[in-house]
Amino acid sequence: MNKAARLWAALAAPGAFWLLFFFAVPFYAVACVAFGSIDPVFRDAIPQWNPLNWSFSEFNAVFSSVTSGPLRGVFIRTIVYVLTAMIISFAIGFPVAYYLARHAGKRRMLLLLLIIAPFWVNYLMRMLAWVNLLSPSGLFSRFVGIFGVQYNWLDGSPITVILGLVYGYIPFLILPLYATLERLDWRLVEAARDLGATSRQAFRVVTVPMAKAGVAAAAILIALPMFGDYYTNDLLSRSPKTEMLGNQIDYYINNSSQPQRGAVLVIMLSTLLLVALSWYLRSTSRVGKERVR
Amino acid sequence: MERRDFLKTLFATTGGIIIGPSILAACGGTTATSSTGLIIGTPDLPVTLPLVGEPIADGLANEGGTIEILNWADYTNPEVIADFEKAFGVTVKQSIYDNEDAAIAKLRNGTLKPDLIIGMTDTALARLMAGELIQPLNHSYIPNKTNLITGLQNPYYDQGAQYTMAQFIYGNGIGYRRDRIDPSELASQGYDAMWNSAYSGKLAVTDSYRDIVSLALFQAGVTDVNTGDADILAAAKENLIRLRSATNPKVDVLSYQELPAGNRDIAYTWSGDILLAPFYLPEGTSADVLGFWYPEETITANDFLCIPKASSKPVAAHQFINYLLDNDVAAKNQSYVGYQPALTNVNAEALINAGAIPETLVDAVIDDAKYQAGKRLVSLTPETDALWSDVWTTFTAG
Repeated sequence: MNKAARLWAALAAPGAFWLLFFFAVPFYAVACVAFGSIDPVFRDAIPQWNPLNWSFSEFNAVFSSVTSGPLRGVFIRTIVYVLTAMIISFAIGFPVAYYLARHAGKRRMLLLLLIIAPFWVNYLMRMLAWVNLLSPSGLFSRFVGIFGVQYNWLDGSPITVILGLVYGYIPFLILPLYATLERLDWRLVEAARDLGATSRQAFRVVTVPMAKAGVAAAAILIALPMFGDYYTNDLLSRSPKTEMLGNQIDYYINNSSQPQRGAVLVIMLSTLLLVALSWYLRSTSRVGKERVR
Repeated sequence: MERRDFLKTLFATTGGIIIGPSILAACGGTTATSSTGLIIGTPDLPVTLPLVGEPIADGLANEGGTIEILNWADYTNPEVIADFEKAFGVTVKQSIYDNEDAAIAKLRNGTLKPDLIIGMTDTALARLMAGELIQPLNHSYIPNKTNLITGLQNPYYDQGAQYTMAQFIYGNGIGYRRDRIDPSELASQGYDAMWNSAYSGKLAVTDSYRDIVSLALFQAGVTDVNTGDADILAAAKENLIRLRSATNPKVDVLSYQELPAGNRDIAYTWSGDILLAPFYLPEGTSADVLGFWYPEETITANDFLCIPKASSKPVAAHQFINYLLDNDVAAKNQSYVGYQPALTNVNAEALINAGAIPETLVDAVIDDAKYQAGKRLVSLTPETDALWSDVWTTFTAG
């Protein structure tokens, strides 16, 4: 390592330590709650700080519920909702980011601002606004009613929850995608066209692989909060039919006398997301290596 | 009193159920045991709580300054607070809680240091006592206690009202839209209405596991709403799954808004919520569209006012308790909060005459007889609570 590299490593060390510390300590605390016990009088979680004394009874109970009990449906539903919301988000967000990066020209900053502006409003307020718009007497319901669409959007509808997730998180997808696409070397696309590729082939063979890191980053950025989200469902549905993992965690932590189960679910969800994150890191490092080659 | 003496007193206390450390140790793991126990009164086994500390002396002047209140959101009329401030020369500052357990945890660790707590229930009282968090009341400051309904002047959970003064009262029942569901049809269905697929997508249940598991028990003819029988609770679980399949219910605490807004037709709810509902009716809609079916077998409950042991303004806190139990003040408070004060004179007739509720909601008003006849939810042992929680999570997991 040369001198400059050592200097930068030294400068990065406090920040890296800070991030590691504030990831590791809370995660360890959650594990200590998950494998700890409950004060039977006050119903507080009693963390077990010594891993040698960890009790796995609650973990086993939750694991059994996830594999063959009522939580199985919640887990599957959460994954389906998040994946569907991500697909819709990409279908909407990718063209927007692509247009901004390639064709928006001088209007780029203005359009970016217009896309982001609504999201300056608090998430809760935006969702509450949708509750008003989507209620049977709301503006949106009355508007689509003109075209003969009679649908109770707030009737515990999975579609509403998924669209709510899309609406809530799509800017976090557009921005990193835009940042990636904007930095692409578009001469490679032009070269592909010059060599006879159709625009569709150039997009599939050149643009998409080059944008892979941005796509992965955007996917991770929206998937992480979507998996833990509970308030979108709370506000737009509140039906058992659309219960997500976040709602169960909320119940166990805030309203039950079994907070360990909430902590166990947090650990399970974190593990799932860690796998996804590892895939992202692997895929970005591979793209980096390919670029170097 | 030392903690050891307190424990001794706990086990010598008359009546009630005492969940002691030995029982708790068996289910709490090696480090989960608390050094104390819970005293849980029931209507059949009322408890006289042990005196921990002395009440304040008679005839003291209030301390002045700022009195801090721990309260649910929107649970006291701001005008009532302003009137009290003016009448007693104090300033009232409110902290809000939305979860009894979390509030008790904050009281224990000193994060919250209120002078008065509003709205806790008897299930929390056992833990407030176990943590020695509240002080005995001096009744000489609270002459308005005689305004309370008879059943709550000497409540089963705190015989002699040594630590608590009841405030609001409520019972569970079915709120509905009379313009969409015929009242006689609903009455003939009774609890079965909540399983009627005709109301699918327009039905809600309260987001409260004790209340909803109890609903399933009542519908099946079981009246022990504190049961620990695993078979009975398994049947209740199946019953709730049937309810879910038949009606696709909403599970929230918003029926006081959603029924008047017309977004749902029927909801199993607290009577206090339906009394609040007329305030949320769209302009021009008659309050008569709201109805309430009050079951013969149901849950009744109340909350109470109490003073933390660490209160620095106990005299002003006593005065505020007395103020809230004044008939006129309580009526004014009801006009904002919606919930019914547990006072004899704030009855159905008075509320209807004052225009606070429509006649169609007269069944939602709880009187002494209804209160006494109702079943009470009491604190459960951890094992039993886990069984109830399992029923609930199966229901809500869809």
